[in-house]
Amino acid sequence: MSPDTIVVIAEHLKGELSDITLEMLACGRELANASGSELICMVLTDDPLPFKALPFASDKTIIVKNPVLGTFNPEAYCKVLSHMLREMSPRIALMGSTSVGMDLAGMLSVTLGATVVGNCTRIQIEGRKLLVTSKLYGGKLTARSEVDQGMVLCLLMTGSYSKEGGMKNEISQIDIRDSPLSLDGLRTQFRELVEPEEGDVDLTKVPVLVGAGRGVQGADNVRVLEELAGLLGGAVCATRPVVDQGWLPRTRQVGRSGVIVKPRLYLAFGISGAPEHVEGMKDSEFIVAVNTDSGAPIFEVAHYGSTLDLQDLAPVLAEKIKELKGGK
Amino acid sequence: MKVAVIIRQVPDVVEELVIAEDGRSLSEDDVMYITNELDDHALEQALILKGRHGAHVAAYGIGGSEARDALATSVAKGADEAVYVPLEFKDRGDNHKLAMHLAAPLRDGGFDLILSGMQAVDELDGGLGGILASRLSIPYVGGLLGVDMATGAGKVTVKKAFAGGRIGIMDVASPAVLGIQSSEQPPRYVPVNKVMQAKKTLQVKEIRTSVPDVVGLCITQLQKPETGAGAKMLEGDEDNVASSIANLLKERGLL
Repeated sequence: MSPDTIVVIAEHLKGELSDITLEMLACGRELANASGSELICMVLTDDPLPFKALPFASDKTIIVKNPVLGTFNPEAYCKVLSHMLREMSPRIALMGSTSVGMDLAGMLSVTLGATVVGNCTRIQIEGRKLLVTSKLYGGKLTARSEVDQGMVLCLLMTGSYSKEGGMKNEISQIDIRDSPLSLDGLRTQFRELVEPEEGDVDLTKVPVLVGAGRGVQGADNVRVLEELAGLLGGAVCATRPVVDQGWLPRTRQVGRSGVIVKPRLYLAFGISGAPEHVEGMKDSEFIVAVNTDSGAPIFEVAHYGSTLDLQDLAPVLAEKIKELKGGK
Repeated sequence: MKVAVIIRQVPDVVEELVIAEDGRSLSEDDVMYITNELDDHALEQALILKGRHGAHVAAYGIGGSEARDALATSVAKGADEAVYVPLEFKDRGDNHKLAMHLAAPLRDGGFDLILSGMQAVDELDGGLGGILASRLSIPYVGGLLGVDMATGAGKVTVKKAFAGGRIGIMDVASPAVLGIQSSEQPPRYVPVNKVMQAKKTLQVKEIRTSVPDVVGLCITQLQKPETGAGAKMLEGDEDNVASSIANLLKERGLL
């Protein structure tokens, strides 16, 4: 196989392709076009049916099937991918900067002797050189890196490429194979997938969300934000650290391991804008962020911002909103 | 059960990050260090296992001298053993190098579980857990929200976060490396006087290994995100800013 192959490792859950797969295909298509490479999409699954007639932007789609590959099992994936990627020897393997790709990258980098570049937002090829832009330090800085030889595993961040670019008008060539090696005797066994508990509010359907970040500093301030959300006919949601502290239930978490939301208004209080949260709310129609750190990355995605202390601002804002609503 | 926890010192991103003159690294003198948040969760998860099953918890503090303070805190919280692995400034955030330092001592330590945060704010080269596991030829699962003993010897049951709030339940045979995203309870608080007390009697084993200079990922430039594309900042006191926001909402029919 050509050393200039680009491989996309597809992600899916319960027979449904994840959006990140299409974004990776869009990125891979752009790189393949720029370098004259072949783009291959690799799907590891127990059932090829949902994936074999999809119009992927890849030149070829390889579906590897085995009963163990039904749901993501890092050990099984790593075994199959180590074997296949070693054989294919691609220039680039694209994975998601997700709970799937992040499990695999470290292991595969050792088994394949490959370089990993994480948190990628943009990947370009210049001759033999791969130029990658990534987010570092919680998104506070941007890192540019170069890799000029060997296999590179890039972890692509959600929202970096448009998913439309991951499809084309025809079904790509399909190659369905059995796993090239036995997956018996694995030390990791997948038992079950638990659906999220249903929260009292469906965050994806609420027109206004008031987001609480670590800067709220305590459950008392969350209540102030709840009042604000109530006035706006919305609900309060949170970043992971706020949920970890138990200030709000996990059903209110927005971001990579929570819910993806696109409300008409997102008011972010004390949210720094770590990439894993921004992924979940950046497509909100109108974003206003309040954070005392003027360098917080949330201000990159917000339309308006303030560096005032939320404890001072939120109660006054609630009063102003009451006034304006009363004056309707 | 023996559990090792990797506790890395990373730049505190709440502080201003100053880029060094080389344009590709942080200015060493200006970095303020903090324990990597998810490593703190890994420690908490290990202490939860200690509480439930009497696990022996060994804390491996990584970084500069700040790592020793983190070890004192870990012991004050309940860790049984403190090991310091010094890492030069230029090597911090290089997980491949760190894994080389840690592989042999962790193998020799005979641990059932090795816990670390699933990611660190200063890394780009793939998660530490997976690299370590591959080097030790044992399984790795990351993105975990909980760990407990499984029914049946030599196994743990883990809860792994998937997109959309779904949780995957898996059984993993020990020894294994586990990447923690959130501990089952928030990391415990320990009063300063308890940390000071732990410091006085703290016995730290130091491990110095020399590892070859591997050329991994080469960062050519660090920069602050482009300004201008971001938010329009609202100036003034609470009254002015609150009025501006309320008016913006009204203009957009959001009130």
